[in-house]
Amino acid sequence: MADRPKIAAVVTEYRKYSHAQHICDRFLEGYGWNGRHHHPPMDLVSLYVDQRPEGDLSSERAARFPGMAIHPTVGDALTRGGRDLAVDGVLLVGEHGQYGTNDKGQHLYPRYELFKQVAAVYRTSGRSAPVFNDKHLSWRWEWAKEMYDVSREMGFAFMAGSSLPVTWRTPSIDMPLDARVTEAMCVGYGGVDSYDFHALETLQCMVERRRGGETGVRWLDTYRGERFWAAHHDSVWSRELFESCLARSHTLAQPRAGFSHVLPTLDEMKSLEDDPIAYQYEHNDGLKSTMILLNGVVRDFNFAALLAGRRHPLSTQMYLPMPPAHTTLANFFSPQVNNVEQMFLTGEATYPVERTLLTTGLVAAGVESLNRDQARVQTPHLNVRYLPNPESTFWRT
Amino acid sequence: MDCRGEKGTPAVAPRRLAVIATIYRYLSHAQHIADRFEVGYPYEGRWRRPNTRIVSLYVDQRPEGDQSRDRAWEFGFDVYDSIAGALRCGADRLAVDAVLIIGEHGEYPNNDKGQKLYPRYEFFKECVRVFEQDGVAVPVFNDKHLSYSFGKAREMVADSRRLGFPLLAGSSLPVSYRLPDLELPLDCGVQEALMVGVGGSDAMDYHALEAMQCMVERRQGGETGVRAVQMIEGDAVWRAGEEGRWSRDLLEAALSRSDTPCGLPEEDGRTRDLLGAGELPGLAKNPAAYFIEYRDGLRATLLMLNGAVRDYCFAARVDGLDAPASTQFLLSPTPNVTYSASLVHKIVEMIENGSAPYPPERTLIVCGILEACLTSGLLGGKRLETPDVDVAYQASAESQHARA
Repeated sequence: MADRPKIAAVVTEYRKYSHAQHICDRFLEGYGWNGRHHHPPMDLVSLYVDQRPEGDLSSERAARFPGMAIHPTVGDALTRGGRDLAVDGVLLVGEHGQYGTNDKGQHLYPRYELFKQVAAVYRTSGRSAPVFNDKHLSWRWEWAKEMYDVSREMGFAFMAGSSLPVTWRTPSIDMPLDARVTEAMCVGYGGVDSYDFHALETLQCMVERRRGGETGVRWLDTYRGERFWAAHHDSVWSRELFESCLARSHTLAQPRAGFSHVLPTLDEMKSLEDDPIAYQYEHNDGLKSTMILLNGVVRDFNFAALLAGRRHPLSTQMYLPMPPAHTTLANFFSPQVNNVEQMFLTGEATYPVERTLLTTGLVAAGVESLNRDQARVQTPHLNVRYLPNPESTFWRT
Repeated sequence: MDCRGEKGTPAVAPRRLAVIATIYRYLSHAQHIADRFEVGYPYEGRWRRPNTRIVSLYVDQRPEGDQSRDRAWEFGFDVYDSIAGALRCGADRLAVDAVLIIGEHGEYPNNDKGQKLYPRYEFFKECVRVFEQDGVAVPVFNDKHLSYSFGKAREMVADSRRLGFPLLAGSSLPVSYRLPDLELPLDCGVQEALMVGVGGSDAMDYHALEAMQCMVERRQGGETGVRAVQMIEGDAVWRAGEEGRWSRDLLEAALSRSDTPCGLPEEDGRTRDLLGAGELPGLAKNPAAYFIEYRDGLRATLLMLNGAVRDYCFAARVDGLDAPASTQFLLSPTPNVTYSASLVHKIVEMIENGSAPYPPERTLIVCGILEACLTSGLLGGKRLETPDVDVAYQASAESQHARA
């Protein structure tokens, strides 16, 4: 088994339901995949944990899996206590943990800082290895861009992002490659600088497959509170797409006692939702995409798009079997881990990191706009052009 | 599909529906199903408003929380005190275009097999009496199994054939989403099948059996009927596995589709191979195995594993595939239970097209399997020959579950 890749995990915290727990546990314990309990053909050999809050599981895991050693620094985790890089892949999971927020309300997760320490080992070792970065690259655009540039300059495979693009879909459909998309929408839930990222990745993994591929984003508007309802009323975004998203939800909030599944009217939605948020942005090829967060209306992520030559919207839900309310396992991490495994085995990312570079910039632009009284943010820096993997990479087998 | 509110739809008078229910209360099956004909439902990414109108309702019981009068007032239909009255809307001839029989929930006694004696057969026979007296019959939907009694269920299906009206019946599991979107190829060779289910009997074992049936009915030669069944409980279930009565490989495949392994995953979130780790017997303290021997030789097993998982997963060994085919039947959360929207759309298809999108024999054979299995359990796990469960039918070639 000498040729099994060795993997290091660099994480902020390792406790029940933290992203590090979901991701690292799948390497240690295996997970259900393609009809069996699959054990990744690689070994998680070292772990760096930045914080150990109450409920920390890292020691328990290291004790039960003695092949995985906990190291005091990122550098040690990558060199396994030696001088040079001693692993073949790095998991960077900087989600959850106490890191404070800035005056814009952004969580200051140290993904950039941890990434820089990884890159420093690569430089001194004269060798690099593929990196998976969970969620967006950094809360700061310039740092995200630097992370991307470093990966390109040093030539290592780099994958990032949300599990939304790769989880089950109900129904199990993909955007047809080269489709002519005229408008796209995601209706999801969660907050600014957190689940907005998931909703943006939901949108982006679909629209990047359109004719010509991704061309980047020119500007972004935000809508919150009364301004959101006014925009909805004025059809600033397609009402047909909005209704289609709600028709894909499994968790539509109910405005009337005694009814289990009615489509709320606009007035009813206003009574259910006290902080509606939308980011609308125009891509450089003219496509308009709208990301909507309605915590009081849905608790899932639903996508819809208008396509040329198609009478009704193409729509689906990116399905999250979410513990503890509905499941015991957050199995949407399984297809994410499986994609990462493929990168570690082949040295090639299965989907482009440019997707997450763009969504990282969109989150930052959304935060910026909301902090500037919902003013339009011009985004010439989001001139991110890329082509998708023509193969579908979501969970469907 | 003919839907009010869609542009370009010709103006056709709405189809008139009678609803015959045990109770109509929040989260009862009648509320989930009948409400959708009034408020619409999502299907294939659009909110559908079927061209139907409930014109009459009969409710057998009015418990606390009864909604029948509120609904009648809000949606403008009448509540009748007899089934014939509802079907004739108080006049002297059948006055509806379709009937929904929703006999789930309500207070009814159990028999010695633990079956709840819902009066679906009795409701159905009342409808048949009206059809016969008035010389006209209309499509009928029967929610869940036809009857606790296979004999009664068989009579119901025979009535529908004799009088020539479409009958749609059964569970919503067969029409729900599947994770992954698995459909066995029509006419494939199925060597062995296994289903994992949870919940009580005879409510949830029924759903699990029908989910398994909707998969295996697609096998080569179609459905041929059941030769024998056996139901065992407790540690005998694990011993039967060791003896090869059910396939460990198929159980691994089914469990690999579960999002709800219990025990250690609940404690600290870890993924877990419950089977490989030997933790199943400690979690599923009172398991049950329902063994089904079909006439064409197929063997299928339902394992009810309360305490180990909380979802419904299927696996089968299929000719030409190296590994078992497996999937989870998705039960989306309360209160929306979107799977019931899929079922309602099948009812609408029957009403619009005048034929059932899939045969009621599926539900009939499951009635026979379930009753015989529960009898076997009552007899201490005795294997029972089932010469009367000679239900042969062909599956619908087209997939009927939510996938678009």
